[in-house]
Amino acid sequence: MPAILVENLTRIYETTTGVIRRKKKEITALDEIDLTVEAGELFGLLGPNGAGKTTLTKILATILLPTSGTVRVLGMDAVAQEKELRHRLGILFGGERGLYWRLTGRQNIQYFADLYRVPPAEVKSRVPELLELVGLSDRADERVEGYSRGMKQRLHVARCLIHDPDVLLLDEPTLGLDPVAAREIRGIIRGLNDQGKTVFLTSHYMFEIDALCERVAVLNKGKILMVDTPSALKDLVADLEVVEIECLGAPANVLEDLRQHPRLQDMRVETREHKQILHLQAPAGSELVQEFLQILKEVRVEKVITRQPTLEDAYVRLVGEEALHI
Amino acid sequence: MTHLQSLAASIRVIQNSYKMQMAENVTRNTFQFTLALQPVLFTLLSVGIYRFAGKPDLSLYGIIGSGLIGMWNANLWTSGFIVQGERWSGTLELLLATPSSLMVVLFGKSLSNASASLGAIFITFLTGALVFRVPLAIEDPLGFFVGLILTLLALTTLGLVLGTLFVLTRAAGNMTQVLNYPIFILSGLTFPITTLPLWTRPLSWALAPSWGSQALGQAAGLSDEALMPAFLWLIVLALIYFLIGLVAYRRIERIARAKGGLQEF
Ligand SMILES: Nc1ncnc2c1ncn2[C@@H]1O[C@H](COP(=O)(O)OP(=O)(O)OP(=O)(O)O)[C@@H](O)[C@H]1O
Ligand SMILES: [Mg+2]
Repeated sequence: MPAILVENLTRIYETTTGVIRRKKKEITALDEIDLTVEAGELFGLLGPNGAGKTTLTKILATILLPTSGTVRVLGMDAVAQEKELRHRLGILFGGERGLYWRLTGRQNIQYFADLYRVPPAEVKSRVPELLELVGLSDRADERVEGYSRGMKQRLHVARCLIHDPDVLLLDEPTLGLDPVAAREIRGIIRGLNDQGKTVFLTSHYMFEIDALCERVAVLNKGKILMVDTPSALKDLVADLEVVEIECLGAPANVLEDLRQHPRLQDMRVETREHKQILHLQAPAGSELVQEFLQILKEVRVEKVITRQPTLEDAYVRLVGEEALHI
Repeated sequence: MTHLQSLAASIRVIQNSYKMQMAENVTRNTFQFTLALQPVLFTLLSVGIYRFAGKPDLSLYGIIGSGLIGMWNANLWTSGFIVQGERWSGTLELLLATPSSLMVVLFGKSLSNASASLGAIFITFLTGALVFRVPLAIEDPLGFFVGLILTLLALTTLGLVLGTLFVLTRAAGNMTQVLNYPIFILSGLTFPITTLPLWTRPLSWALAPSWGSQALGQAAGLSDEALMPAFLWLIVLALIYFLIGLVAYRRIERIARAKGGLQEF
């Protein structure tokens, strides 16, 4: 029995705008999705802003109803058997919200232990264990308002584990964290998966998915574009090489000329401080560097490298350039 | 889980919601301020007016009424803002995702606010004694105490029912303003309900604060009527409010799931 089984799932949000003349607007957040996650798997859902990641996580978490389709988690219907199912799901939404800031870290997780109806005897031993796991033992009796972002996020992790759930639904667990804090969280997630917990994780960071997940689904505009291993995703661009050109103030018309180059497969422009970094995907061995630089002859170029494509390039090829708008 | 275990778990949720809410409130200045200052002002006003009007015999009535207004205010405000607060902190969604029902959680939290508001009654008596030299004599202390507890339960459950309105609206602040005054006027907390038009009487009967005011007044020695009928009414009303609350919150949980949370504000 798969841990998560989603068939033909659609979710439409209805919103109304205007006070006097109410207009109904429908947003299709998930569009006939099929997905299977096996028990014990560490599964990643990758997608740009507005792709529908949070919507899918909430439906799996039983706090949002599908418009149509079936969703079974651990064999239970996420619509009708929600009370039983909730005991076995650990839910985490990234970001700083979702904690009682005026209470201490320990009070926060103890409270959720009761809400999940964990027997008091178990709470007693589990709270210190979890605080230890996320490295908050020393600061557990301080108020959350004084915690750093990373500490809050680690507290979230402890909170979502308090009832020893079988399936973890983690929506962007490293959102807004610095690289060190994010790496700590990833380490904890990997450890939990090693213990046998099924992990469903969303992200818009490729390297995170690459580092953690056995399989990945790419979601865009409510549709699943591909489900496979990260390396299979990389194979999408195996026949390509990427020319990376770092330059200053390339005007739009020059970029447009580059884009028109007949042998260019894909191009994305990354702006880093005052610099622009152009990632130009070209067929492997095509040696187009000179031609590209010719187009850029009026522009100040600081660095040029040719490299192997990464998961990020594959993702961009699949989703399009908006993939990286965060 | 057996029914008994599940009941015990629910009681633990109420207990801990109570404790957590208390722990949070202790750190809130506005909460303490509203709780302490309002009863003093109301007592000064109401007893002052009765004195000025040449009816000092109504002083005790004014004190009890002001205390109940204080309790009711604290209750309605906080019941409304519990949900709002959970919304702001982003915890409402996580509460909805647990196997515990929202109603049970909110009941614990409201009860916590309500029992803190018990202080209002003591403050009004103290103000009465210090400023107007109204003797602190209560004829039937036990009856007064029981009346207070029953009033507390009834006020909490009524606060919960009215709290459903806050769950569904963003205008919790306005809503409290709109609901506050009519309820304590109808409940005879400012002046006796006998001075109101007759058609309002059924509304007064449906509201717990009127019976609370009556029970406490009688126990304090304002009239010789039996306490039992008022006690019974308080119990019946508390039960009715609780049942309405159960149905309402189940509906709210369903709406939340259908709409995608009560997260927007
Ligand atoms: N409660 C809601 N009411 C109306 N529309 C909504 C609601 N929640 C989400 N949406 C819309 O549904 C679509 C998918 O949103 P969702 O939050 O699931 O995306 P996401 O992949 O989690 O995005 P992000 O990376 O920004 O978190 C978006 O177009 C969003 O505007
Ligand atoms: Mg999201």
